[in-house]
Amino acid sequence: MHIPDGFIPLWQTPIYFAIALVALFFAFRWAKNNLDERNIPLLAVLAAFIFVMMSINIPIPWGTSGHMVGAAMVAIIFMSPWAGVIVIALVLLIQGLFFGDGGITVLGVNILNMGIVGSFVGYYGFKGLRKPLGKVPAIAIASWAAIFLGACLAAVELWLAGIFPLGLGLTFMGLYHAVIGVLEAIITVVVILGIEKVRPDLLAWNKKTDQRNLQSEPSMDVKAK
Amino acid sequence: MTPQNKNLLIAGVVIALIIGIMSPYIASTNPDGLEKSQQQINPNFKEPGYYKAPFSDYTVSELGNNPFAGIVALIIGILVVLILVYLVAWIIKRRNLRETSK
Repeated sequence: MHIPDGFIPLWQTPIYFAIALVALFFAFRWAKNNLDERNIPLLAVLAAFIFVMMSINIPIPWGTSGHMVGAAMVAIIFMSPWAGVIVIALVLLIQGLFFGDGGITVLGVNILNMGIVGSFVGYYGFKGLRKPLGKVPAIAIASWAAIFLGACLAAVELWLAGIFPLGLGLTFMGLYHAVIGVLEAIITVVVILGIEKVRPDLLAWNKKTDQRNLQSEPSMDVKAK
Repeated sequence: MTPQNKNLLIAGVVIALIIGIMSPYIASTNPDGLEKSQQQINPNFKEPGYYKAPFSDYTVSELGNNPFAGIVALIIGILVVLILVYLVAWIIKRRNLRETSK
């Protein structure tokens, strides 16, 4: 889903860079208040995993292929969309600088589509669907929607850039990424359930539960006395 | 770093490296969803290419046209991303500690 260098006219790129910089400002502020010795290694490992998964294009029908993005995965694990924004922005920076995937002039627009949209749709989708649907369907639908909506936004941006007509762009991008989103959903569910089995303490929703339990314990002691 | 976190870091890097080593053999050479859409809708468009990356298409071209060139590029990428994210997060955390201790 990386928009390549040159697809967005240079005069439009500052708009996307401005959006990305504002998001990164808030993301770094989140990191300052929430990162600690326990979750920094997790953030780094997830970034390395996402980098390598983004490099593997898995074949899908119609002679095309797709890769996972992982923004929703990071946002759900850390229970914050800002975590996803930081990871995806840094991964995209390395991919653009060294590997020609995406690019430098399009870094802002790619951070918007994959980092910001992916993380926010993933996080709020999961948050909203977890209670009515349950954990696994919520993770799957949220991570699928993160890919699908990011691709639809890319189609709109490419229409603004004069590359695609809007209708055809949305049709093709939507169709391909609806299938790619299924891969994203499967991998996201597998990774999060795997972490929950091996290190449940690393999932932010368990951390919040732990804190609530710890806070409720002293009051129980008082009552017992 | 706690032993638990060290294990997490080692396990995560090993998984990423295994996927990276397998990648050239399992990855599809078909265009991705965006490139395919562009080819179908606007086949005459040629990207200007403002910047040439040293390891374009996840390949170290100096190593020739073989899977090993792709594996080396991915290993470099995995390690660079891991170190960069770790360093950025660590610096942010250190700055926060310094500010709160003032």
